[in-house]
Amino acid sequence: MSYKTFAAPGRVSRRGFLAGSAALGTALSLPQGAFAQQEGQLLLWLPGGSDLFCKIHTGLLEGFSSGAGLGPATTVCGLGQDTEFTQALIGSITAGSPPDISMLWDSPVSLGAQGAFMPLDDMMKGSKIPLETWPAGLLSSSQFKGVTYGLPVTAGVYSMWYNQEMFEAKGMSSARDAFPKTWDEMRRMSKEFTVWDGDKLVTSGFMPNRVPETMAIWSALNGGMIFDEVNLKYLIDSEQNVEMFNFFLEWVDEEYKGDFNLVDRSGNFLDGYPNPTTGMGPAFREGRQAGMQSGSWLLGDIFADPVPSFERWNLAGNPVGPSGTTSVSGTWPNWFVIPVGSKNPRAAFDYLSYLAVEGSVQWYQQIPDVPTNKQVQAKAPAGLVEKRGQEVADDITAFLGEQAAIMTPMWNSPVQSFYTDQIARATEKIYTKASPVKEALAEAQAATQAELERVLAG
Amino acid sequence: MPDTNPSAGAAPLPRRNGGAGRGEARAGVLFALPWMVGMTLFVAIPLILTFYIAQTKFQIIGAPKWVGMQNYEALWTDPAFWTSARNTLVFAVISVPLKLIIALGLALLLNRATALSSFYRTVFYLPFLMPAVAGSVVFMLLLTPNAGPVNLVLEALGFNPPDWLLDPNAALWTLIMLSLWPLGVETLVFLGGLQNIPKEVSEAADLDSPRGWHKLVWITLPLITPMVLFNLVIGIIYSFQIFTQAIVIGGTTGAPAESTLMYMVVLYRAAFRYFNVGLAAAMATVLFLVVLILTLLIFRTARSWVHYEGGER
Repeated sequence: MSYKTFAAPGRVSRRGFLAGSAALGTALSLPQGAFAQQEGQLLLWLPGGSDLFCKIHTGLLEGFSSGAGLGPATTVCGLGQDTEFTQALIGSITAGSPPDISMLWDSPVSLGAQGAFMPLDDMMKGSKIPLETWPAGLLSSSQFKGVTYGLPVTAGVYSMWYNQEMFEAKGMSSARDAFPKTWDEMRRMSKEFTVWDGDKLVTSGFMPNRVPETMAIWSALNGGMIFDEVNLKYLIDSEQNVEMFNFFLEWVDEEYKGDFNLVDRSGNFLDGYPNPTTGMGPAFREGRQAGMQSGSWLLGDIFADPVPSFERWNLAGNPVGPSGTTSVSGTWPNWFVIPVGSKNPRAAFDYLSYLAVEGSVQWYQQIPDVPTNKQVQAKAPAGLVEKRGQEVADDITAFLGEQAAIMTPMWNSPVQSFYTDQIARATEKIYTKASPVKEALAEAQAATQAELERVLAG
Repeated sequence: MPDTNPSAGAAPLPRRNGGAGRGEARAGVLFALPWMVGMTLFVAIPLILTFYIAQTKFQIIGAPKWVGMQNYEALWTDPAFWTSARNTLVFAVISVPLKLIIALGLALLLNRATALSSFYRTVFYLPFLMPAVAGSVVFMLLLTPNAGPVNLVLEALGFNPPDWLLDPNAALWTLIMLSLWPLGVETLVFLGGLQNIPKEVSEAADLDSPRGWHKLVWITLPLITPMVLFNLVIGIIYSFQIFTQAIVIGGTTGAPAESTLMYMVVLYRAAFRYFNVGLAAAMATVLFLVVLILTLLIFRTARSWVHYEGGER
């Protein structure tokens, strides 16, 4: 997708709430045809996204419908992000007039397990996108108890982004191979860049993670796990996760004066986008942060306003924690589902097959969400080639492909939103020192496991 | 409540012709019918359904399953329920009296006849017309720690301003402060009461005591107690239902550190984020009962402190 924020998917962020309110108003003013699906005519719903995002999907659906001899298709764009979009979708399903296809920016597992989306396994058998053509770690984000409820057609891939010019100015190698391989190395290197002016953070190296939805990646990097989908058990307060937070907390104390508020008052060091509330620019793009973890969607947005104050950046693998053995990546997919009640389920699935293979190539060319089906050989995005040259663009595309192959399972719990809120709460308590690490994680573990058991009880 | 009917003790009204009376009754019922239908469809039935759903496991998709009191038991052990209840109570206990005092002060000022009276009345009512979301965002920008105008001014004056919306110790107070902004309705209600005080009473009070506060305490306040009662009841109901500002500022987790986590936000996220509609309905039932009991208590005590013109204490 064209842009995402650090806010947890489904968690109502300030911007999300505003967007949702506006979207709801827009939705109410849409013509009846936008909601009433008809046989032989596909209706697609999209959550938020840029005009370009909407244009690409409208074009892809129209092209497919025309080629398949279907009637005129309708794409409804910008129906709101997060909880607002889910509300609208659930409303349409319960009212019996859902879209034929919907994109989701939150895992389909939770609603799928409750019967909101059609199981796709039978349709996938014998199709051109059978189960084996999907990376298992990624597809698990759409599966529950062996049933596939959606397809992660493209995905943002999480990796480390770093400013090569800042590295070189310190006399460090800016080659990908020289990037820190462990958390200890990353922490030592980070100190080299971090400069305070009183209580203002002028420049920084790297930041300990505090983004709830990527905690599963950091846990896996430390040899841990957040949710064991086989045994249906949360492991939030496992030894590896306690060790991870203790490591982060010591790091904050040592390098960031033990206070993320001071960091936040100094700029947006959290992600690569301007802060929607404070308007503060992204420190990474301003050349004030040596590196950060981000999704690959930033490839499309990094050259947008505010343009970066430097030219050369690169991507590297995620470093491994003290108890970890191997690097992993993570993902934030663009899921597609066929809601129960679709009047054109066969045509909808055919469209998903088309989108997963041919469509995702066109999509990636314009907005760099990485195609995930193994059959797709994506070429480097045109915008990236234009800005960084063919060689760098090809290298980054190949790197993202490698990272996609080592994704850790994420988004695979039927209580994903509940977990996200719990880990956000625990993280905040830990960093503000309102609770010791063990206690905060144990509380999140107990609450999330109880919610999981409640939902699974039937 | 004492009988305040001005016709009490007067001669009985002549009996109406039976047929005409029934006709009038039918017309009355017909006129009231749209309201009765609306009340049944949009209030009574949803209310009964809420009581029912509160005793089911209902995940929006699929049929509700009867679980008895399980949702209420789950509430009892849910830390978010207690945190949000405490935050909401603190918000209500502080914001409602503050609102009443400030609105009364504004009404007293606006009651003075000046050339700009109408202008000021409009100005003070305007914030009420602004959507709560837009108002909250404006305040978030004003209160931004580094670049926000409020902190810039405070820093220039030599103060060390707080992180209004980032510091868990300050965020709830900031939310209370923001709730004091749209006071248009409360002020207008008080103003209406002040303008209904008979001139002769006001002038007699002026003659009796030259001290303004004597008149305020002994004459003005007793005569506007019905308006105080109205604003108090409405204020309590609204304060227990605070949602928009809280979710815009703190999201569904009540950031920072659950300090802005309000009851309605927890209810909303239970229903539409966790799809636990049964629990949300149980929360709605508890809130309904708490507000109902508080309102009845206020009406009960109102007998001793609300004065109606022509009535008894």
